[in-house]
Amino acid sequence: MIAVEGVVKRFGAQTVLDGVSLAVAPGEVVTILGSSGSGKSTLIRCINGLERLDGGRITVDGLDVADPRQLAQARRLSATVFQLFNLYPHMTVLRNVTLAPEVVLKRPRAEVEAEAQALLASVGLAGKADAYPAQLSGGQRQRVGICRALAMNPRYLLLDEVTSALDPEMTAEVLAILGRLAGRQMGDGGTTMLFVTHEVEFARRISTRIVFLDQGRLIVDLPTARFFADDGGLAHPRIRQFLSKMAPSNTVAGAEVTV
Amino acid sequence: MSFDLTVLTPHLEPLLAGALLTAEVCALGIAGAFGLATVLGLATAGRGWAQRLAWLYVDVFRNVPFVVQVFFLYYGLPEIGVYIDAFWTGVLALSLVGGAYGGDVVRSGILAIDPGVVEAARVGGLPRLDIIRRIVLPIALRAAIRPLGSVFVNLVLSSSILSMITLDEVTGTARGVAAETYRPFEVYAFLLVAYAVLTYAVSLGIAALHRHLNRHMVASPGVAGSEVAGKGA
Repeated sequence: MIAVEGVVKRFGAQTVLDGVSLAVAPGEVVTILGSSGSGKSTLIRCINGLERLDGGRITVDGLDVADPRQLAQARRLSATVFQLFNLYPHMTVLRNVTLAPEVVLKRPRAEVEAEAQALLASVGLAGKADAYPAQLSGGQRQRVGICRALAMNPRYLLLDEVTSALDPEMTAEVLAILGRLAGRQMGDGGTTMLFVTHEVEFARRISTRIVFLDQGRLIVDLPTARFFADDGGLAHPRIRQFLSKMAPSNTVAGAEVTV
Repeated sequence: MSFDLTVLTPHLEPLLAGALLTAEVCALGIAGAFGLATVLGLATAGRGWAQRLAWLYVDVFRNVPFVVQVFFLYYGLPEIGVYIDAFWTGVLALSLVGGAYGGDVVRSGILAIDPGVVEAARVGGLPRLDIIRRIVLPIALRAAIRPLGSVFVNLVLSSSILSMITLDEVTGTARGVAAETYRPFEVYAFLLVAYAVLTYAVSLGIAALHRHLNRHMVASPGVAGSEVAGKGA
């Protein structure tokens, strides 16, 4: 369980998160929606310990991320996929995926590599294990980013606008993989997913719950169906305004989701 | 007066021995400078007292003439009971000054790293030392290695000053031979070539390291220009 309790985060005079509370239970797929600058990415960065909190508390399975020791433990439970991929540019695709399992989890190299090859094959990158990130397209890089995260067998998967730097075609290929993943995970209560995305249609199909951030405040937290109901989330003028400006792209909406 | 290299023949042995000694003191000095530059680069790119201390060091050693540092180490330190022979004084002096210049180069390489890459390693749970060793330094050095090479070449040139603390390296030996033979033209021609060979060897080594560190920048056949396209994405 990821528990966010009254979290406050400021950058200088600006308050980016203003008392946000959120609980993500195992097996859930939760999407955070909100316009740019609403604090979505900052919230993810607080959960994985990249930002120091100015108030409140975040725990991952009871581990307080403000404590360096507990954070080190918590980081073994969760994995993050980044908007700009953040692959290690000097390492091959395979090494990008195997580094953390080998160094952090201290698992044997051969075993980790076999697993990484299987992961890469499952996202259509079987032949790219020895390529370097610079030799890949954006969509391929993000698929490597997903493999790198999954290789840690995380209990929680944090996804921070993972398709925002991709064109519609590449977005579709990445969303198809995530959709498959979300579908599989919901079944066996495995990896819990916390999404930050602008792909509203996609969020609607794969999320169990949607929360909405507005100017650093979490104004709505509803099951997906209720979020899109006229007397649910849509009753909120701010959300209606947001959704009306999010013209769902056909390509993206058409991304295959095999559940 | 004609150019006659045969006048050097009887002195070839001490001249080559001097060149070998220069090569040895420079190789060790460069290794020491590389290590110190790495530590200082990491410290100056960081924060806190380590950063302030590292800056102080860099400022001191960059603002004192090399010959003064050498004299201080060789003639000054014995006054307080620290004796180091000429060879190791040379290695130490080259390491100390090379580290000061190289530290700033490594620092700029570190600051040029995309912070997101380091964040990915932190979030992945990698311990600090692993992040430095496996992520930060290899990426920083791929850009910093060439300017570091310039620092190292300069160290080879500066090593000629070590003749002033009785080290029989190639410059000192050459001066002796020139005085003895009255053939400064041939002797210093030899010296020119000797330094050219030494610095060229350093350049070759740096070029090889640069190629190794940047092997991932070479696009595989069929994806030529992908790096450019990738930067735009």
